[in-house]
Amino acid sequence: MRKPRGLTTANFNLPSSVFAQYKQIRFFSQPLRKDILRGCISVFAGLLIWEILARLLLENELLIPPPSSVLKSFWRLAVSGQLNKHFAATLLEFTYGFATATIVGIVVGYLMGMHRWFDEVMDPWIATLYSIPIITVVPLIIIWFGIGMVSKVIVVFKITAVAIILNTAAGIKNLDPIWLELAKSLRLSRWETTYKIRFPGALPYIITGMRLGVGRALLGVIVAELMAANAGLGYLLRDSSETWDSPKLFVTVTLLAVIGLVSFNLIKRLEQKIAPWRQGAEWTLE
Amino acid sequence: MHRGAKARNGHWNNSPRIFEMNEQRRTLNANLIKIGSIAAGLLLWHSLAVYAINDPSLLVSPIVVARAAYEMLFVTGELYPHLWASSWIFFYGFALSIVAGVPLGFLMALSSRLRDYVNPWMATLYTTPRIAFAPVLLLWFGIGGGSKVAIVFLGCVFPILINSYYGMRVVNREYVELARSFRLSSRALLVKILLPASVPFILAGIRLAIGRGLTGVAIAEWFGATEGLGYLVFFAGQTLNVPILFVGVAAFAVLGILGFELVRRFEIYLTPWRRQAQGG
Repeated sequence: MRKPRGLTTANFNLPSSVFAQYKQIRFFSQPLRKDILRGCISVFAGLLIWEILARLLLENELLIPPPSSVLKSFWRLAVSGQLNKHFAATLLEFTYGFATATIVGIVVGYLMGMHRWFDEVMDPWIATLYSIPIITVVPLIIIWFGIGMVSKVIVVFKITAVAIILNTAAGIKNLDPIWLELAKSLRLSRWETTYKIRFPGALPYIITGMRLGVGRALLGVIVAELMAANAGLGYLLRDSSETWDSPKLFVTVTLLAVIGLVSFNLIKRLEQKIAPWRQGAEWTLE
Repeated sequence: MHRGAKARNGHWNNSPRIFEMNEQRRTLNANLIKIGSIAAGLLLWHSLAVYAINDPSLLVSPIVVARAAYEMLFVTGELYPHLWASSWIFFYGFALSIVAGVPLGFLMALSSRLRDYVNPWMATLYTTPRIAFAPVLLLWFGIGGGSKVAIVFLGCVFPILINSYYGMRVVNREYVELARSFRLSSRALLVKILLPASVPFILAGIRLAIGRGLTGVAIAEWFGATEGLGYLVFFAGQTLNVPILFVGVAAFAVLGILGFELVRRFEIYLTPWRRQAQGG
């Protein structure tokens, strides 16, 4: 069909500022540089105001340490190797839990998506696990697995596995039946259908599950370390808040913020690459 | 494909009534399997607790947990003060995050300048594990109600804010064009088109926020509280009182499911034009 020419609503110049955004949504014509520039200005201005206010208004650093002393504290911790140790501990716990949860989650989710009876057997338990706030089961897990590394790995595992199971099952169930018919007409074996059709089809969902898992698992591992541990960023957080060492506390908080930002953006990139059509409406801003 | 019933004479009966019966039988089967699964799981748990582990400081039978719950609810009634304290913290934090999050989300959707300036701070606050802020907030607001409400607020506000932002930005273009062709003023456009169209998004955000808010309550009450469900759970964990620990965890789960269901009902009532709720 030919598109109508001339003055249509599509290229009509919308006057009010309320409308300006709709053009942006259509063409993404907003220059990228401007918003990055504004973001940088905002961050620098914020830090500067923070520094000045903290120096002018507060004589001790307990409540809000200025960014300069936070930076100094960061340097001290980094040089002494303390930061490295705690960071490595948290990262290791996170990686172990996340890796096992990904494998188990994909297998269980696949079975739930394939077999209706298995889905119905697992459903009440997964739903229960999903609706319990993780924080509340952490004491129980510490009672069972001790204050060492295992309890943190279990916490990460539980959080991530539930998210991945639910999403993998949804991905397998929502597979376009045309693909399955294609597999049938190509006489693909069961195994080939699984890893050539079903798994790639469910991959975007799996990535979404992983993304949802990352944030919550990070929270879970920090909580578990905060409650009972002898290493890790959560332990550092607790240590610095109990010794009233505010600059150290802010170093830890900033570090956690950076980890959160980086992991979130990494997995978002991955998701956009694997599943560009899924623009998550509920989690991301731009 | 035949999805109806095959009659004795070899013909397929595809009447709607047959579909309905099949559907009924299927849901009945599904429910039976679910009930069986729950029963089997509880039985496994019971036998594990009684015969395999047999240590009340590690795991207790679901019967003991149920008895503890019954006592705390109906005999001693000691669950109610905790429930009450947690509800107030949750309510204040939640209400505050709706009051702050929705307008800020709208403003950010309407002004790209504001969005650019606020965005880096928001993204940082949103992606940082919330527990990291708990000691800082405690330092600023003390161990009273203020810091607890602030922690819940910090957990709830971002899903609500981001969803209001998206709700405002993703309004169907045709509606806006319709409004323009009726020469609506920008105020009428806001009230009649943009606000109603973003309601489902806001509600989806509120639904997401419930879970995060409950987690926030648990975090908040762990730091220097003397009552509340979170306090109950952590105190029970430290004194190895497993039955009460389980009761506390179950109370959180029930509250989460209840809140989720409530918002879903509310959503159906408030946005009757879209019966199909979108997945959160």
